[in-house]
Amino acid sequence: MNKTKDLTKKSSDFEEVAMPHLDTVYRAAIAMCSDIETAEDLTQSTMLKAFERFDTFSKGTNCKAWLLSILRNKWIDMIRHKNIRGQVLPLDENIVADRKPEDEIKYSNCEDLLENFSDEQVIEVLKSLPAEQRFTLFLVDVEQLNHQEAAEIMNIAVGTVKSRTSRARTILKKRLFSHAKKMGFTGGKR
Amino acid sequence: MNHLSENEFEDIIRQSIPEPEHLSECDRCRKLLAEKKAVANRMRSAFSSIKANKKLVDNITNQISSKEISSRFHQVGILKKIAFKKIVWPAAAAVFLTAAILGIYVVGPSPAMAARAELVKIHRHNLSDAHEFYNESDPEKLAGYFKDKLGFAPSMPALGKGMALRGCCVRHFQGQIVGSYVVDTPQGVMSVVVVTDKPESLGISGKFKYGGRAFYKSSFAKCDMVSTRLDNYSYCAVGEISYEYLTDLLARLMPEKLP
Repeated sequence: MNKTKDLTKKSSDFEEVAMPHLDTVYRAAIAMCSDIETAEDLTQSTMLKAFERFDTFSKGTNCKAWLLSILRNKWIDMIRHKNIRGQVLPLDENIVADRKPEDEIKYSNCEDLLENFSDEQVIEVLKSLPAEQRFTLFLVDVEQLNHQEAAEIMNIAVGTVKSRTSRARTILKKRLFSHAKKMGFTGGKR
Repeated sequence: MNHLSENEFEDIIRQSIPEPEHLSECDRCRKLLAEKKAVANRMRSAFSSIKANKKLVDNITNQISSKEISSRFHQVGILKKIAFKKIVWPAAAAVFLTAAILGIYVVGPSPAMAARAELVKIHRHNLSDAHEFYNESDPEKLAGYFKDKLGFAPSMPALGKGMALRGCCVRHFQGQIVGSYVVDTPQGVMSVVVVTDKPESLGISGKFKYGGRAFYKSSFAKCDMVSTRLDNYSYCAVGEISYEYLTDLLARLMPEKLP
């Protein structure tokens, strides 16, 4: 009976500690997967694996980081087993090309330029990055983990996180700017 | 002039180091930093609206719930095996007794998580356009409806402070008929589900005191829940609202009963 109480406590603790990070896990899955269905599968398998292994989680430590490292491992498993590739999806240029003249984009700085892309377009360009760069950039820029936390999740050195983030951000910027120029956004050069 | 290294840019963006003086002198580095920050900010804002949908949350919580149940069955299986291995025929009676106890346990109440899942389900059902939902904001009419359907009228809320009754519903919960009513509040919508089970047996076990009365809290599938006992019933307030507010609401819903 004690084990039953333990199980109930485990689920209750899991809900309290891990479930609040579900959106983070889902966002990471969206960043890593080609489509919503795969992202949902990855989210589910991550949370279920986390529940199974919840006994190994040290209370008081960073649960978000713990879940993200499980997600990364599950994602690697998915690629190995299902041969799901980190997709290279082109930006849907038609979305921008179809703009009406009155919607023409004007900007005076980088921030203005980036605001002309929809959230979906920014995410699609992110998805065009190599998987490890993409995930590192996601951890640092989107989830705002510090370099040390990201390094632990990725199982790499802090210096590698910094260089990888920097490289990823530079590529992302270039790709966004390149699309902006193709779309005829004035002043899109740097 | 030595420009900033990529690592230095990263440290500045993460605010691990203060901005060096070089930035005030170098247009190139200043512009690069601004661009990097802009990309980081845009990335963050692009993901900010992405949230797990309700169906996904439900799927995960249901699967975790089934895992909990299957683990319990698994444990029962192990206990049975041990019992059969260690107890010989003269002790068969003890085995039967054990099996009987385990049987009662297996067919006994659903796990606490399942109970909370049902509470959340009732709340979500109340928010959908369910045919069974009785749209009525008059507390007296709701009381009459409950009396007719349940044989008693649960305590009704004292309205005001931006709260309004939306209506009520009678549904099955753990094999019993229970009533619930919905209250619109400035912080969101909550359901108050009235059940006979004690909060702890529903897995709402985080005990705390408020106004001298015992309250219990828990959460499930993005919903927080607070419960308190009143006249042999547990009033469970469920919603995507903070514990503090749910507690305050429960206390204010029953002002004449609470200290």
